[in-house]
Amino acid sequence: MKPFLYQRPGSLAQTFDLLSEYGSSARILAGGTDLIVGLRQQSVDASVLVDIKGIGEFLPEVAFADGHFVIGATTDISRVCENEKFRATFPALVEAMETVGSVQIRNRATLVGNVCNASPAADTVPPLAIYGAMVNVGGRDGTRQVPVQEFIRGPRQTALRPGEFVLSVQLPVPNAPLGVAFARLTRRRGVDLATVNLSCSIDSVGTVRFAFGAVGPRLVLGIERSGVLADSGAPAGDRDAALANLIAATSPRTDIRGTQDYRSAMLLVLSRRILAEAAGRLDSGQP
Amino acid sequence: MTASQIGSSTRRFGGYERVTGSQEFVADLRLDGMLFVKLVSIDCARARIVSVDTSAARGLAGVVAVVTSDDLPQPVPRFGPVYKDRPILAVGETKYHGEPVAAVVAESKEVAEVAASLVAIQFEELPAVFTVASALNPLSPLVQEPELRSAGTLASTNVLSEQVFGWGDLGATEADLVIENDYCFPMVTHFAIEPHGCMVVSSSGGFEVWSPVQHPYLLQAILADLFDLPLTRVRVVAPDPGGAFGGKQNPKFEPLLCFLARMTNRPVRLILTLEESFQATRRTSAEIHIRSGFSRDGLLCFQDIESNFLLGAYADIAGRVVSKSNYLGCGPYRTPVAKIRARALLSHTTPSCAFRGFGTPQVAWALESQMDAAARHLGIDGLQIRLMNLAAKGEDVVPGDVPADGEWAQSVQKAASAVGWGEPLEPNHGRGIAVGIKSGATTGLSYSTIRLLFDGSVTIYAGTSDMGQGARTIFAQIVSDELGVPIEQIDVVMGDTSVVPFDLQTSASRSTVFMGNAILDACRDIQLQVRELAAELHGTALENVRIVAGGVFISEVKVSIPEVVQASLGRLRGELIGNGTMRRTDIANHPLGGRPAFFEFNCTAFEVGVDVETGEVSVIKHVSVGDTGKSLNPLQVEMQDEGAAIMGLGHTMMEHVILDESGRIANLGALDYRIPTSKDLPLSLSTYSIENADGPGPYGSKGVSEGAILCTAPAFASAVTEATGVVIRNLPLTPERVWRAIRDGASDSSTVEQV
Repeated sequence: MKPFLYQRPGSLAQTFDLLSEYGSSARILAGGTDLIVGLRQQSVDASVLVDIKGIGEFLPEVAFADGHFVIGATTDISRVCENEKFRATFPALVEAMETVGSVQIRNRATLVGNVCNASPAADTVPPLAIYGAMVNVGGRDGTRQVPVQEFIRGPRQTALRPGEFVLSVQLPVPNAPLGVAFARLTRRRGVDLATVNLSCSIDSVGTVRFAFGAVGPRLVLGIERSGVLADSGAPAGDRDAALANLIAATSPRTDIRGTQDYRSAMLLVLSRRILAEAAGRLDSGQP
Repeated sequence: MTASQIGSSTRRFGGYERVTGSQEFVADLRLDGMLFVKLVSIDCARARIVSVDTSAARGLAGVVAVVTSDDLPQPVPRFGPVYKDRPILAVGETKYHGEPVAAVVAESKEVAEVAASLVAIQFEELPAVFTVASALNPLSPLVQEPELRSAGTLASTNVLSEQVFGWGDLGATEADLVIENDYCFPMVTHFAIEPHGCMVVSSSGGFEVWSPVQHPYLLQAILADLFDLPLTRVRVVAPDPGGAFGGKQNPKFEPLLCFLARMTNRPVRLILTLEESFQATRRTSAEIHIRSGFSRDGLLCFQDIESNFLLGAYADIAGRVVSKSNYLGCGPYRTPVAKIRARALLSHTTPSCAFRGFGTPQVAWALESQMDAAARHLGIDGLQIRLMNLAAKGEDVVPGDVPADGEWAQSVQKAASAVGWGEPLEPNHGRGIAVGIKSGATTGLSYSTIRLLFDGSVTIYAGTSDMGQGARTIFAQIVSDELGVPIEQIDVVMGDTSVVPFDLQTSASRSTVFMGNAILDACRDIQLQVRELAAELHGTALENVRIVAGGVFISEVKVSIPEVVQASLGRLRGELIGNGTMRRTDIANHPLGGRPAFFEFNCTAFEVGVDVETGEVSVIKHVSVGDTGKSLNPLQVEMQDEGAAIMGLGHTMMEHVILDESGRIANLGALDYRIPTSKDLPLSLSTYSIENADGPGPYGSKGVSEGAILCTAPAFASAVTEATGVVIRNLPLTPERVWRAIRDGASDSSTVEQV
């Protein structure tokens, strides 16, 4: 690991000062589970680490207000998963969060960090997008909101502008019945990066939304309104055709974790499975 | 008197320290004034080194030295356990991805790392050999310069060695069914949790070396030879390794560290990263072509095997891996006629060495898969075809050599019943069963010294390395029973060549048998001394004094050993010292230099469930049964079996080192080189021992540490075949491979001649 400067600002204002002083050589440190590994492997270059865990305005909590859950930038994934109301409201996201790393990693890693790391294979991102998550970006001149799927612009690329960092992500509590499911495919069951991951939702009027991860430079979203996917009695061929139509927007590649044709085939298999699961959740009244 | 320890699950010596993190591994030790070493390598396998610019690194504050092969004695010394082929640092060209070109020595680890990144190496990629086909191609570049090789026709090829084993006349042998296939076993890495590393102090004309090495005395001998020192001037301290699995048998960077310690006149330390450990050593990969002949009834008629094992750039001990495993290439069966041609091939890849199973998992993958292919073609059950061909105790497996030394069918029957062989299966479930034998050590020499102190407590001195197998506990159990000493009054001292007597190796599951017998012999030495003292004390003849279960009987009077010792030695106190030896010497003209001291026999069985849409395999039941002779500590045997079984699941389901077109390891590190986690374990894993007290070790024991990895892959693959109908002959059976085979309908593609 190369030497770096460590800063621990006590307030948001100090943080923005540091970010403008050091520019792109500064990196935000919260959980550090991606950042420190990157520094060790010299795949990340940073001359300054700005540790945001000392910021007085931040509460490492899961807050609820005005029909939204707000997850702060220093809130670790385990803490989010412990929140009973959150679990009941966003079960598919909790399932995705519980596949991130291992217990020890989730005790350090933050949900915001998983988004900011901007990995195409990030497991939380498909369900975050399906649940309509917004990223709250802070800067000297105030805050702005960006939908999660627009925030991640490509591998390791985010919509952050110089001097900005992410304060929180927020999730609206669904205001109509919704069934959501998540799945991923990995090479082994414990602690692995996804070969593909995906999430889908189905609502009571038959609209189906899909989000596919690890099969393109950024998240691929699809929506199907014809009702064929909501109709479990529709011919399997028609349903598969509708799914294939959604999957056609993905561009999986061959890499060390899987080939292009395996990824494509698994998207269809897992899409069928999570669609059935989401429909079951809708029927049972679970979000 | 104490309760018998042998056969009970005595608590592990050092277990508490190991699980609470208080055990000190080499990386936990600190020496005053020590310097930190970082190796510098290039991002290429084989390359000509054009230039090395160390000026920027040297200029960094805290850097003490930056060393390349130019700074070493010329010609650069080479070393190795069999061939002196490995240079201290790369000379002129690199031979594999990660071979160090330079070494940085600095005041801190961090400075060493930064300085290493500042060493500018210009290189030119050269044509290279990464595969069996390329190694066999006479037009390929040579991995080793012919002048480094021993004279002979092979010196100008990439064949390190080629041996043919066999018996009977293959040309004159007929069979009703001949099955012919090719099998591949991948490169895998040991993945010991403790990375490789060492520390060296240069002092009084010699060296003190700290290394988690399996063979401290071999390291001592190699260093003494390299530096022309008497053995007394090389002290090797070997703290218990944090896992080794064969990967820590032989020196790697200890010679380099000795040079650096001399140059800087300071203690030096090198602890590899996980990635560097991957690049330091691996298991020998293999491609095996095999023709197997069977009678209509399923009896073996012949095996015709051509094994090509791909070694790395330096031979290490891998030539022996090839010969020893292929010598038993026909497995635990009665094979009327056999021909086995085994080649050890050099390549521009990570040097391969010993790895749990020592080549047998590679050979068994091919052989056992053939048994299943034959069974399918003949409509015989996989269990039956094995039972009908298995050598009974006393029958030859290699004619003229040691015959079958166990009731192996008992293990097979046990595994079959434990896995529920023949019971109805759910859809997409299947069962498989396989067997394997590995030769135990063929030669060896272990000495032990035991001190029975005045109060009756005992110190055992043994040169074994306790790397997790629990050797200390076994040795203490033997002494406890033989000398009647409570287990908590026994100390076991290991891992220091200035303290413990010579032991050849900790390898080949030998220590219970070899060092165990040496310790038993040392106990006998002490028992004789006690009997002599007791006879003198009681004014009786020696033959009237017996020692039974650690107690002394003078005619019918019973006393304890300490009572005899204390009464005899008296006011000046003192102690008794016993010495013991187990020696097994070379046999002239034997292809392996000696006969197996014992066989490790294992039967493994699986029930799996396959997700036929994704290719994911769930292990429902995993059963391993070993022929242990006598399980001296049943819990430790179970732990060894479970460890080996799970390690076997690794190379069966997910592990393989992937090379890119430049020979670089594409999955270098834990992120993309996958080993089983706790979540990948079988839903049920059971291990059993067959104990007939028919081994050469103490109380009829045999070695046990490798059995459960020998035939994991073929048993698993057979179960997948029953579940899905597809046959896969390349390991590992990753979900994608299984999925692809199902998609392509890859049913048994054996070349079959049916007469």
